[in-house]
Amino acid sequence: MKSSSMPQYSRLKTCGVQKQGPDYRVVSGVLEDELYAMQCEIRVYWPELTIESIKARMKRFTTDRCLLAEKFFSNCLGWSIDSELDGKIKKDLGRNGCRHMAALIVDCMHSLVRAELARRLKESMAGNPSLDKKEFLADFLRNNPNLGGYLKIR
Amino acid sequence: MILDFQSHNLTVVEELEPGLWRITLRADDNLFSAKIMIDVKAPALDIRTATLEVTRDVFGQIPDLADVAKKLIGVRVGPGMTKIVREIVGGASGSDRIAELLLEAMEMLVNAITVPELRKATELGGTRPEVFGDESVTELNDRVIGLEMIKKLAANPRLKDSCAAFRGLD
Repeated sequence: MKSSSMPQYSRLKTCGVQKQGPDYRVVSGVLEDELYAMQCEIRVYWPELTIESIKARMKRFTTDRCLLAEKFFSNCLGWSIDSELDGKIKKDLGRNGCRHMAALIVDCMHSLVRAELARRLKESMAGNPSLDKKEFLADFLRNNPNLGGYLKIR
Repeated sequence: MILDFQSHNLTVVEELEPGLWRITLRADDNLFSAKIMIDVKAPALDIRTATLEVTRDVFGQIPDLADVAKKLIGVRVGPGMTKIVREIVGGASGSDRIAELLLEAMEMLVNAITVPELRKATELGGTRPEVFGDESVTELNDRVIGLEMIKKLAANPRLKDSCAAFRGLD
């Protein structure tokens, strides 16, 4: 059914992932809605799947105390990508800091892992265009248990 | 450096008529694309219609969710929705990813309903922000909700201790 209403509220979240050399992955995220504008950049040391640096900036917010959240975002330094990560981000960075920034960081971390899967699929298909994707995915999950636990592809 | 992966997620809330909202969430990345649309009616904020449409699934992991969508009719936006939605939409025969996106869409309705209240709070208890550190305050924040109004808002159990703004006020 076609709507004739104007939007009352909208939220955009976008993430972009880069591979920087063999050892680093970098993701940048942006969130914008009626109430908030936020951005973050996160660098992960890929051999150990650990967060090595984060810059998270609250650009537009609602209260005089929202900026107090910024001091908590570096708590994630050293955290690993595994099945516990989302909970830690939401609890530590979200409840102590800002849950909207936490939502953006969760999206960024999922994008990093999905990017790895997409990159390896693309590389594999370049050499084998008729590659069985389901078999490829099963191999990826088997060989990368930490990433598999976090991927939530289904 | 050239990006090799992007994800985009846009949620739009419209009030189709007084007390009837349509929430549309579109998610798109290199491997996956989906559109979730729900109509939610006051006063119970229950789902009246639901569409869960996956338009890109590179690994073919997500089953058809047409029957699952029908089971969402009557589910309410509010306390307990996380468990209910994960049970209906997620799990071995469903899609955990779609369940999380649907929950996000439902949460955005709460944000939408909150906007007028926050606007009112900013008008009644607004202040110029104090400066906390480098490059923190910009022209984007000419007026924010001040401490007295923050304390009033923090009396709401849903907000109390929910984030840095509403912690440590006692």
